[in-house]
Amino acid sequence: MSATTSAQKYTLTVTGPPRWTLPGEPPEVGGDPAVLLTIDRSGQVSVYSGKVEYGQGIRHGFALTVADELSISPADVDVVLADTARVPWDRGTTGSASMRTVGVQLRRAAATARRVLIDLAADRWGVKAADVELVDGAARAGSPALTLDFAALLDGLSLQRDIPDDIGPGTELAPAEDATRARRVDALEKVTGRARYSQDFVVPGMLHGKVIRPPTYGAKLVDIDTARAERVPGFVALVRDGDFAGVVAETEHAATYSLESVRVRWEESRDDASDWSLPSLLQEHAGEAVVLQESGSLDEGMGEADGVLDGTYFAPYISNAQMEPSAAVASWEDGKLSVWCGNRGPFSERAQLAGALGISEGDVHVMTLAVGGSFGTKTPTVSLEAARLARHAGRPVKVAYTRSEEFIWSTVRPAALIEIKSGFTSGGKITAWDYRAFHAGENAFRGRRGAMTPYDVPHTRVAVAGSVSPLQHGSYRSLGGAVNHFARETHMDRMARRLEMDPAEFRLRNLSHPRYRRVLEAAMDRFGWSTRKRRDGVGFGLAVGFDAGSYVAECVEVEVRDQQVQVRRVTAAFDCGAIVNPDGVRNQVEGSIVMGIGSALWEAVEFDGGRVLTTGFNRYRVPRVMDTPEIEVVLIEDDSNPATGAGEPGIVPIAAAVANAVADATGLVIEQLPIEPQLR
Amino acid sequence: MDLTVNGDLHSLQVDRERSLLSVLRSELDLTGTKYGCGEGNCGACTVLIDGEPAQSCITPVSAAAGRSVTTVEGLAAGDELNPVQQAFIAHSAFQCGYCTPGFIISATALLARNSHPSEAEVRSGLNGNICRCGAYVRIIRAVRSAATAMASPASAREPAE
Repeated sequence: MSATTSAQKYTLTVTGPPRWTLPGEPPEVGGDPAVLLTIDRSGQVSVYSGKVEYGQGIRHGFALTVADELSISPADVDVVLADTARVPWDRGTTGSASMRTVGVQLRRAAATARRVLIDLAADRWGVKAADVELVDGAARAGSPALTLDFAALLDGLSLQRDIPDDIGPGTELAPAEDATRARRVDALEKVTGRARYSQDFVVPGMLHGKVIRPPTYGAKLVDIDTARAERVPGFVALVRDGDFAGVVAETEHAATYSLESVRVRWEESRDDASDWSLPSLLQEHAGEAVVLQESGSLDEGMGEADGVLDGTYFAPYISNAQMEPSAAVASWEDGKLSVWCGNRGPFSERAQLAGALGISEGDVHVMTLAVGGSFGTKTPTVSLEAARLARHAGRPVKVAYTRSEEFIWSTVRPAALIEIKSGFTSGGKITAWDYRAFHAGENAFRGRRGAMTPYDVPHTRVAVAGSVSPLQHGSYRSLGGAVNHFARETHMDRMARRLEMDPAEFRLRNLSHPRYRRVLEAAMDRFGWSTRKRRDGVGFGLAVGFDAGSYVAECVEVEVRDQQVQVRRVTAAFDCGAIVNPDGVRNQVEGSIVMGIGSALWEAVEFDGGRVLTTGFNRYRVPRVMDTPEIEVVLIEDDSNPATGAGEPGIVPIAAAVANAVADATGLVIEQLPIEPQLR
Repeated sequence: MDLTVNGDLHSLQVDRERSLLSVLRSELDLTGTKYGCGEGNCGACTVLIDGEPAQSCITPVSAAAGRSVTTVEGLAAGDELNPVQQAFIAHSAFQCGYCTPGFIISATALLARNSHPSEAEVRSGLNGNICRCGAYVRIIRAVRSAATAMASPASAREPAE
């Protein structure tokens, strides 16, 4: 949308860079000033962002922050997200960054609009701007009150304003206290089934496509016999393009039968990798290490120590397993492609589609539907498959993954092997910390998050390396961070146990950072850490973490019976600076804890010889209602720090806290995830 | 075959072995009922058949013929949401919302057979449904509050059937 065309439709257009960058941060490449907010002739306020709503609540967060600034109801803000033809460029919805970057910028755009509206009213009435207030979608001044709504104030105008520099990231307006404030603007469509996800979306004249999948990764297509498939009522065509092949049919049902009816010969390549050989593979094929933290001399630090502890930690591949399997609809017209799908960033989706299909980005239009969970996955694969089938079929095509396709052909969280050697004094001070991580995947960068130690250790070396990845890996909630925290915080407890010292006391002796200390002390206090009572089969554990700018500590109580672990209680203290929607933050932290319990206790993707063996929820246990602990989230609402991430940090300490609690209950040394199989 | 869904009678020409889920979504455009796993493991496809919860992905459509099917689209009376739907909104008992229709249907069935469930009964009654976003704490709270709301004098004034 360009400012000239918008000028005809809108009475006010506010422009600026699409995201707020902190002072000193370089402006984002590609983040050119664009239209961020409009008010149309009817007074409708719309805001525009390339971020994706996949459950984390940013649609509500954006509506709320804009509504606060303009004194209107969040339900009256039209939040336009993730449509490449309508919103500013965005790099993708990652790193728990939406509220603190785009949210802040939309708030500034709204503050700009507020200023325009107030100035217009003040001019009209001949009063001072300071005497005008915005109330319920209208400007008001004086007594008896003069009142004009937004549409009337802007009538006949066509204004465009850039966000002025003197509008800061915060607000001087206190948000209205209202019990319905937390009620999400997208709630009604979710509880009535009206929300349209990519699995639900259809366009007229659409065919249904199924991709013919190889039996193992890397297998080469030799030939396809479609004689039987051609007799399936509704079968339309076989599409073959090198090793990519699929069938298209008039209905999904016919597509499924057609797929089952084709006979395919494959030439499989030999691949000996399996989940049980993975730890040694990661170490053997490690790439060059990136040193993230280095101080003093490890030799000196180990020399000063009274005790030395070696640990080798391992976390397997796990599946995002979001509830909605991937799906996309693709439609071609005059060489231009339209795609409706779930994704994590419509512009990166567009770039990847254009690259793979050999067309320009300007010829690809990506529209994002309601997204049924992501946690880092939703790769462009499904859109590309739909686009390739549609191009050959000459009609729009929908591809909707089955659950087993999602398990096998989506991405998994990278596995990691982490070696730690530490030295400590008998008085409980850590003297040396040698941390070497090997994360699956060639890019060492992906394993960096959360690897650095926050503890005050004079002699430290933290090095992270990438390695081979037999499975197609992708992002996950706090990619790398959750696994690095598991290793470090489990190792911390093992040192404390060697010292026969309370694990909280041991951490506090080595942790001077005030925000870490504050969350740890707050969690311990609310949990009742110092008065916890050991009982048979019951254990307690804690861990601290930092991710996406936020600090978190979690205390847990577990019960171990019949080789099964029940997490009874979790208390989290969470510091993400200033907060727009406290209930939204709580919801995210609770969800992170539940999700992390699955990775701690049960989840692992099994594979052997290029074949994923985990193909359904019957072989992949995820947390259910009966697994859910009592959860209490203590929010440190400290407005003196800028807003930081909320969607991911809650997951980083939980696996270690659970592992430490199980170790407390059983006396076992836990170095690997998932935990429960190790109790058998 | 005749299929009654949300009170409407449909005469359909479909393969009897096709799943009820596929017929609801593709033939009747009732996409509120979700596909999650196709194996009866996740509960996203839960519907009511004569008031009893059923996993529509593993129910052949023929098994629902001649019976009354209720999907999430049929829970509200006009604009008036049912108490479970209202409670899910009030407690923000969802994140991405994909599992929400299945949970709401399961909870509606649970409250129909047990109007005052304990927390443990709510947990076991909903254990067949997966919410990967992990909104369980809120879901439990919402279902218990819906039970309370249904027992309140306001609903007691509704004429008994």
